[in-house]
Amino acid sequence: MQASRARLFKEYKEVQREKSADPDIQLVCDDSNIFKWNALIKGPSETPFEGGVFQLAFSVPEQYPLQPPQVRFLTKIFHPNVHFKTGEICLDILKNAWSPAWTLQSVCRAIIALMAHPEPDSPLNCDSGNLLRSGDIRGYQSMARMYTRLAAMPKKG
Amino acid sequence: MHSDSIAANASNIPTAASNAKDFAKKKRVNRSAKLKQCKLDARREQWLSQVKNKSGKEESNGGTIVQPMATAGNRMGRAIEKLEIRPRVEEGNDGGSVHHYSDSESPSNSPMSHTGSVLGGNDSGTNFTGSSSSSSSSSSGGCCSGSMSEEDEDGEDGCLDDWEAVADALAATDEKQQLHIGTAPVDKNIAHFDSQSDVNHQTVSGIDISKEKPENGVSVQRAPVNCCAWRPDDAFRPQSLPNLSKQYSFPMNSDRHYGCGGSVWGCKNAASIPKSCPICYEDLDFTDSSFLPCSCGFRLCLFCHKRILEEDGRCPGCRKQYNYDPVEGEATLDGGSLTYRLGRSCSMITRS
Repeated sequence: MQASRARLFKEYKEVQREKSADPDIQLVCDDSNIFKWNALIKGPSETPFEGGVFQLAFSVPEQYPLQPPQVRFLTKIFHPNVHFKTGEICLDILKNAWSPAWTLQSVCRAIIALMAHPEPDSPLNCDSGNLLRSGDIRGYQSMARMYTRLAAMPKKG
Repeated sequence: MHSDSIAANASNIPTAASNAKDFAKKKRVNRSAKLKQCKLDARREQWLSQVKNKSGKEESNGGTIVQPMATAGNRMGRAIEKLEIRPRVEEGNDGGSVHHYSDSESPSNSPMSHTGSVLGGNDSGTNFTGSSSSSSSSSSGGCCSGSMSEEDEDGEDGCLDDWEAVADALAATDEKQQLHIGTAPVDKNIAHFDSQSDVNHQTVSGIDISKEKPENGVSVQRAPVNCCAWRPDDAFRPQSLPNLSKQYSFPMNSDRHYGCGGSVWGCKNAASIPKSCPICYEDLDFTDSSFLPCSCGFRLCLFCHKRILEEDGRCPGCRKQYNYDPVEGEATLDGGSLTYRLGRSCSMITRS
């Protein structure tokens, strides 16, 4: 408990110090609970998610960093590895491939990479996964772009 | 009856009986007889020189010591009235007296060794104070006494009575003399070095510990003395000592290397080694930064390493299982030495 808190505090300071280091990621800690974090990530370029800003919610366990944080999308996203309703993310480094050397920041980077390179063979969003697996790249991209516009972009007007 | 006479004689001529018994026992010892004989001769000489200096009373004892082979005759001469059973007494010397002495030996044994160790302890204590840290010295002292015990057992039969006689002689003289044995046996060791009497041996090994340590460590002053004492190829060097010097030269050497190498290494590779543990972000102290638990080179502090071992035991860097048991002391030691070597190679890489 104490170790995880200390570590999160250090991560917080690190984030404050390198705020401009990674312009695609904005990590903010809950004011009252250091185990609750939020992140805003920019959709990677040359993907259907380009131009969108996606919000992530981190729930850090007390065993952190030995246990991975629980992360989910708060913003709707059409992606084979993200549950469309709950925002749950299927990502190996958040499960069995977690390493204590990872940080919340690096988790965000991994999620951005996952957005750019979906894994349709282990889908949480079956519709999206099926589109990709059937080779309908165009269908997938248009669906994803639509949801990005709907959910992840500031409303126009 | 003859046992009575022997018991009566025992107080008069302990050394003579001891020598007779010495021979009986030493036959069983698996060391070369030649060496033994040499030792005994040398011891006789030493005894002569020692005891003559002490007092006249001791000198008479010294006389018996000079001819230990003729002890039977001497003893007979002393055991005046009971001469009529001379042959039987002589038999008894080999049989009965040995038993008798072995009985009386065990109680007097412990004081002997105790005194010996006390002597050695005093020596080492006085010598160590200036030169090296007390912790390391005491630890090595423990090692020494541990590996010396075999030698003690080997020679205690012979040295026991000698020691007693020495104690008598010492008691006869004033405390100054005792001090002489305690602190000045450096000279004595050199003088009677080849003799290696067991008494001498005790003090020698006691001294040698205290002498050899400073030599390895800081004090240069005593080093030459030590060099005189025991060369590695010396035929009379006690068998247990090579192990000893190895034993405590190893930590000294490693300490020394660790010291200089570590400082160099610390400066050179400060950049390549993270300053803080990547797991807990706490600063890595020197122990942590010289701790390399995984071949992938991922560093972390000992605390986090322990926590990881308690959980899934996989290296955070490569996600492979740490491949040894978390026996903390050994693991740390291994890691430390490994790191040290790596540190060196790293510094070479950065140089080239």
